[in-house]
Amino acid sequence: MSDRPRMITLAEWEIHYRRLAREGLKEPAYGGPLGRHVDDGDLRLRNLLFDNSAAALRLWNFLLTEEQRLAEARTAGKKIIGTMKDLGTVPVMAYSAPELVAFYPDGAWWIPCVMELSAGLLDIADSLGIDESFCPVRAMLGAFVTEAHFPIPDLLICSVGATCDDFSAIAQRLSGLGHPIVWWEAPARRKPDRGEESIRLPGGFRAPVDQVEFVKSELERLRLLLGEEAGRAIDDAALSAGIRAANRVRRILNELRHTVYRADTAPLPALEMLIAEMLAIHFCSDREESAAVLQGLLDEARSRQTEGLGVLRDDAVRLFWVNPVADLRVMNLLEKSGGRVCGSEFLFSHALDEIPEDLPPMEALARTALADPMIGGAEERADRVCDDIELFGAEALLISRIPGASHCATEGEVIGDRVRSRIGIPVQEIEVPPVSDSLLPTLSTRIEALVETVLQRRKR
Amino acid sequence: MAADEANTPMKTVVYSCPFVPAEWIAAHGLRPKRIIPAIDPDFSPSGLTQGLCPYADAFTREATADPRNDAILFTTVCDQMRRIPETLPFETKAPLFVLNVPTTWEGASVHKLYRTELVRLGRFLCELGGTSPSREKLSSVVLDHDRRRSDLRSLRGRVSARCFSEAIARFHRGGSAPVDPAVRDGSSRAARTGRQGVSIALAGGPILQHHFDLFDIVEDAGGVVVLDATGSGERTLPPPVDRRLAREDPLAALADAYFGRIPDAFRRPNSGLYLWLKREFADRGVEAILYVRHTWCDTWQAEARRMKEWCGLPLLSIESGGDSRVDGRTLSRIQSFMEVCSER
Repeated sequence: MSDRPRMITLAEWEIHYRRLAREGLKEPAYGGPLGRHVDDGDLRLRNLLFDNSAAALRLWNFLLTEEQRLAEARTAGKKIIGTMKDLGTVPVMAYSAPELVAFYPDGAWWIPCVMELSAGLLDIADSLGIDESFCPVRAMLGAFVTEAHFPIPDLLICSVGATCDDFSAIAQRLSGLGHPIVWWEAPARRKPDRGEESIRLPGGFRAPVDQVEFVKSELERLRLLLGEEAGRAIDDAALSAGIRAANRVRRILNELRHTVYRADTAPLPALEMLIAEMLAIHFCSDREESAAVLQGLLDEARSRQTEGLGVLRDDAVRLFWVNPVADLRVMNLLEKSGGRVCGSEFLFSHALDEIPEDLPPMEALARTALADPMIGGAEERADRVCDDIELFGAEALLISRIPGASHCATEGEVIGDRVRSRIGIPVQEIEVPPVSDSLLPTLSTRIEALVETVLQRRKR
Repeated sequence: MAADEANTPMKTVVYSCPFVPAEWIAAHGLRPKRIIPAIDPDFSPSGLTQGLCPYADAFTREATADPRNDAILFTTVCDQMRRIPETLPFETKAPLFVLNVPTTWEGASVHKLYRTELVRLGRFLCELGGTSPSREKLSSVVLDHDRRRSDLRSLRGRVSARCFSEAIARFHRGGSAPVDPAVRDGSSRAARTGRQGVSIALAGGPILQHHFDLFDIVEDAGGVVVLDATGSGERTLPPPVDRRLAREDPLAALADAYFGRIPDAFRRPNSGLYLWLKREFADRGVEAILYVRHTWCDTWQAEARRMKEWCGLPLLSIESGGDSRVDGRTLSRIQSFMEVCSER
């Protein structure tokens, strides 16, 4: 599309941006040079490497202006819904009413990284008794206290039950600080008992019919509340339209993932792909624009692929990545160490799967919610990881432990064992804190060891 | 009992979660055994999987190590307990069952879900060799347990705090709460009641065996435990059942007594825990709190600060990290805490 693909620093982006602007770069209203976000406190950008495409610039600007978008939505009279933990389903319902905008306060977990701890959110969490034994999502508490990172939602909805204890405990603490929360139960998805009627969920897991019915009843309760907030009922027709619109985003994202992860040469870097995948869960507060942003990335990736161009060496080792990293810089580190991401499971694969459009909408949403990889067993999650490893041709698995997360104590071993036994590729675990600078040598060594193992295997 | 009648050894179902109704297991002709795990003195905390709660680990080790345990129940009240069974298939031959205990409790649908889960547990118990109980049988077991729990509660104030809590543990482990003869005749330390000193509530999550020593440590430091609000103490005793309901629909009575009435930190919202504490603190004249939590237990770690803010009482939070005894540093902290509380 434009220049030869490569990864550039923020300083290089500033020069590059001026040139693109001179050449007539067209940008949305939230566009502009990336460096301005550093002035807003997003200090981590100074230490990252970015893709040099206009599509990537748009992605970053879209991501880093969400707070303004939410503020504008409130000014425009829209109600802001804070949805927590379910990662992907309740926002589809909320965006079915034009009067509502939904976002995940959970996303605050990246603020300590992006602002390089300068916002003090983890210190605030500490002061509230939520220390480093919790996962970095504890930054959310600080964000609510400071009210400096997102508008306080008009309605807070949180899924609990088979969720990580970190989040459930932090949300309860938040409630205790005076932020009322509507709780809904996400039951532990279990394998159907012998002879029990079951349903195949999006993504391939199965769940007992009773569990689907239960989740449907929980979501019906939320539908009523969202309707009250919107000032009008959210009927099936509106929900169906909302599902179709969400699926449009998911389809583009899936095409993007397939294009990038299966390509012989990586058309886009891992960091931009991570951000792109994040758009699926709540559309970064603008569903239509998120589709446009993803389409731009897809066009760029396809164009590069057609021209045989990529951002990394052709022989970069193809790694499958499990769990999101608290420090974005580690995605760069992976590539510096000779790897590339070919497949990912960032805890929300159910937000990537298309929601069935041939079912009554609440049934479809219930099935989607139950397909959450985190509410089922790690073995099931591992099987999905295996399927995707085979699909994308990954040569090794990297499991990124989330510091303090209750699920990380056991799931890495389960997933690793399953992948070794089923696919026979090497597995490595790392743990990444929000700012990992002091650990970079250690992390680098571990990733390089994995890369070298794969390179040795290639020689056999 | 069905198993006795068949002259075969009664199978044992082991668990640690207070939301598993012992009556339901017993009514199937099986032996419910709710344990307070101990940590093997030879076990080094460094052997713990990183990030794994030592309580969950200790329960799992104890439950799987004893060949007399014929089945192991886990529940979903804790994320790690929910996930541990996946790591076990090669370590135990005992069948495993995970009971889904809903976190929310305000709607009728979650009560129904819990009851449905009990029915599913019943099928598991039948596969284990149990017999599905008739309504009359279940009713009889529920009312019998209720009576024995009432007897158990009556021990409070008649024996020392430690003795009372140990009796609760024995009741859960074996269904009865025999009291040591030395206690009954008043010759044992455990018989000492009516002690004076700072009134302490022991609060927090479930305890390990060596935590019973905390009662003595508090007493030796000039206090007296007046309330065991841990996840192994009287807080987890279901209140008396609705006797009419127990006769008409005993499973509903069980679900109501356990799911509907036991307060805990994991519940959302967990306001019921604070209502219970408020009442009990007032009744017992609690002056300070000794709070027990396990490393990596998010649920109770998050609650420590909130509880302190809520009650306005001195609160000492001690962390249990996988040691088999109360270590010297913790002992020293408790002693200092008690000194400060005494001077208030």
